[in-house]
Amino acid sequence: MNLLSPPGTKLALMGNEAIARGAIEAGVKVVTGYPGTPSSEVIMTLHKFSKTLNIYVEWAINERVAFEVAYGASLTGLRAMVTMKAPGLNVASDPIISAAYSGTTGGLVILVADDPGPHTTQTEQDSRWYAKLAKLPMISPSSPQEAKEFTKLAFSISEELELPIFLRTSTRVNHSIGEVLLGEVETLSRFPLFRRNQQRFVRAGMAWNLERHVWLNNQLKKVEEVVGKYYLNKVYGDGKLCVVTEGAAFNYVYEVIKEHEVKAKIIKLGLLYPFPSKFLSKILPECDEVLIVEELDPYLEENIKNTLFDLGLKIKVYGKTTNHIPLEGELNTRIVKKALGLPVESPGKHVHVHPRPPPLCPGCPHRFTFVALKTAIFRSGLKLSEVPIIGDIGCSALSVYQPINMLWTEHSMGASVSMAMGLKIAEYDKPVVAVIGDSTFFHAGIQSLIEAVNKRVDLLILILDNNVVAMTGHQSTPAWDKSETGRILKPVLIEDIVRAIGPDELVIVDPYNLDETTRIMEELLLKPGVKVVIARHACALLEKRLGKPLKTYTVVDERCKGCKSCLISTGCPALYIEGGKAKIITEDCNGCGLCSKFCAYEAIRLLEVSG
Amino acid sequence: MKPLNILIASVGGQGGLTLARVLATSAVLQGLSVRTSESLGMAQRYGSVVGYIRIGEEIYSPIFEPGEADYLLGLELNETLRNLHYVKPSGKIIVADEYRPSYEMSMASPNITRNEVISEMLSINPNLLVIPARKIALKLGNPRALNMVILGVFVGLSGIPRIEYVEKAISEILTGISAEISVVAFREGLKFVTKNSLNL
Ligand code: SF4
Ligand code: SF4
Repeated sequence: MNLLSPPGTKLALMGNEAIARGAIEAGVKVVTGYPGTPSSEVIMTLHKFSKTLNIYVEWAINERVAFEVAYGASLTGLRAMVTMKAPGLNVASDPIISAAYSGTTGGLVILVADDPGPHTTQTEQDSRWYAKLAKLPMISPSSPQEAKEFTKLAFSISEELELPIFLRTSTRVNHSIGEVLLGEVETLSRFPLFRRNQQRFVRAGMAWNLERHVWLNNQLKKVEEVVGKYYLNKVYGDGKLCVVTEGAAFNYVYEVIKEHEVKAKIIKLGLLYPFPSKFLSKILPECDEVLIVEELDPYLEENIKNTLFDLGLKIKVYGKTTNHIPLEGELNTRIVKKALGLPVESPGKHVHVHPRPPPLCPGCPHRFTFVALKTAIFRSGLKLSEVPIIGDIGCSALSVYQPINMLWTEHSMGASVSMAMGLKIAEYDKPVVAVIGDSTFFHAGIQSLIEAVNKRVDLLILILDNNVVAMTGHQSTPAWDKSETGRILKPVLIEDIVRAIGPDELVIVDPYNLDETTRIMEELLLKPGVKVVIARHACALLEKRLGKPLKTYTVVDERCKGCKSCLISTGCPALYIEGGKAKIITEDCNGCGLCSKFCAYEAIRLLEVSG
Repeated sequence: MKPLNILIASVGGQGGLTLARVLATSAVLQGLSVRTSESLGMAQRYGSVVGYIRIGEEIYSPIFEPGEADYLLGLELNETLRNLHYVKPSGKIIVADEYRPSYEMSMASPNITRNEVISEMLSINPNLLVIPARKIALKLGNPRALNMVILGVFVGLSGIPRIEYVEKAISEILTGISAEISVVAFREGLKFVTKNSLNL
């Protein structure tokens, strides 16, 4: 797959790769964002072409910083894009809402990926409401091909309206592979230029803000006409039943209606905000009934009802509010069939198999940290049920599963330290531990630490530093000295930040030294003040990928008594029990040796060192 | 051509998604329409992973429902059993003889054995082939090529996509040594079908 193939080439592309190609075709110059499934592959794909195409493609510390960087770049007239998952938009919302008043000059595309299901997100947030809140146009593709087209068009639409634009996707578009026909790459020879215009760009003048609000509302009135040129809204088939849909849901609707030869008109909306009422006012009067098939909230439904009211039409509307479409979870053809009153296939027999939730990886340094913490809690004479472990977003949250089973909360980026602090402010009388990963600390944990230090609470804070954004597929952090595109960076070290903030204690430890880590935690757990432990060891998968010499362990069959102690203590996925004996999957073992420490029969031995 | 629905059941890290990618790419090289999707869970590795692939003339939906799979390709026995309800009554199952119980499966006592998983599957759907894929891959020096052995068996049995496109897709998606081993493993899968005159 060569993303730079000439126009007319048909490639199998994942939605996110198609978006990357769309941005290339639009001549984008600055791309930034924060990793978040299912949005991350856009930037990861573009990294490879940064040098050849002279595009700045780098991760930012968080979504709001990313947006502001992209926004600043777009004000020079260059084209810029920023990518994030839905909760990231919450973080970026403050500057985005202000940017609507100032507008942009170069095309500025905000990619936000929603996650109906949810598959990898804390909530089923519907980011379509943000378009309405921020008063910015939003478009939404249904397939990888459209993902490419819409991305490219988004830049032109943004420039024509002088407004940032949301490109809103969902998991089944971002992470779906489909055939994509490549288009022409625009060659824009633009020079960065920023003209001073205080009325427009300074949001401190209230009279100016009122003026800009009028301007913004005027721009929004033009959106339907501007977007109309590109035919993003489409109609398929004919019939008195009208099915209104958008995004991934369109695919289910189209297939069901085609397969069952339902006499219906499919109205597929590509423009979600402002709601295309002009377009719909021509179609809706021909409908006897309207079924709305959409994922997440009844956003279309609300707007369709408003439109019908304005048109004076009394047409029955079916959708989420009539329970024809569920309010939670993602859609599929089965749900669409049911909503249309069609028969559904009966699935084969479902056999119950024990679940396999994602564990910490073999050799994960976090496993050591949690084992040490558990031991330290026991040794301090405390119970696991009385020491809240306030967790954070990232791999460390996988410690919630058996048998590590440590986490009490996982909330939102950076919330661990401040929520733990809240417990202490409320005078919770047992020790409280906050656990946060390195990238999450950079993203949103720094302010929380300042708050905790400044307010003088008693808190043990563990920063689990594996030197990478691991959960989302190994992206860079501000501690790196080189970006993914090979640019030299100045590393910002966590210990320097922590030291500057000034907690009562700061210890850096390698969790692979289990005894030392346990001793330190035991020592700090009951001490007063803010105590920070940086547990530093590189992500085991990253080390393996980088070709670090590897050790592998094996179980000596004759010695193994099948006590499962190795498994219960670690939950390492390279270990399993078969025929009453422990086994190690050689190619998965990352040689950390943790399991061997828990075998009383010395059955787990070092097998080989390779690499 | 009616859309062909293929489900890949695996443990994260076994290469189920690479397998999906190779199938999708080779189908597009052959001029077909394709959609894939995945249920990845929250982590990238070691959890249950399901990949959906749909190949046909004009495909829209990237997923399909239980009872709609023409083929279930299993890279691990327990994961294949878990997803058996996806298979149509006329559907077929190709599964690697790979047994990796999860933590909870290992802790369950008695824990279900390799042979029990296989016989349970056979009792539900006899259109099942168990392939010694790990052994074949190990002979090539890399147990991770197990996914490509299963791909070879699938292509050998179904004739979809055409062999030359699959090999081209492998070398486009993978690089260097892993591409070489993958092509060889794929061919070993094909050979396994002819050598044992398999049909399903
Ligand atoms: S040494 Fe043991 S705990 Fe560590 S990765 Fe290997 S099997 Fe897992
Ligand atoms: S701890 Fe030792 S004896 Fe017990 S199951 Fe594991 S390898 Fe076997």
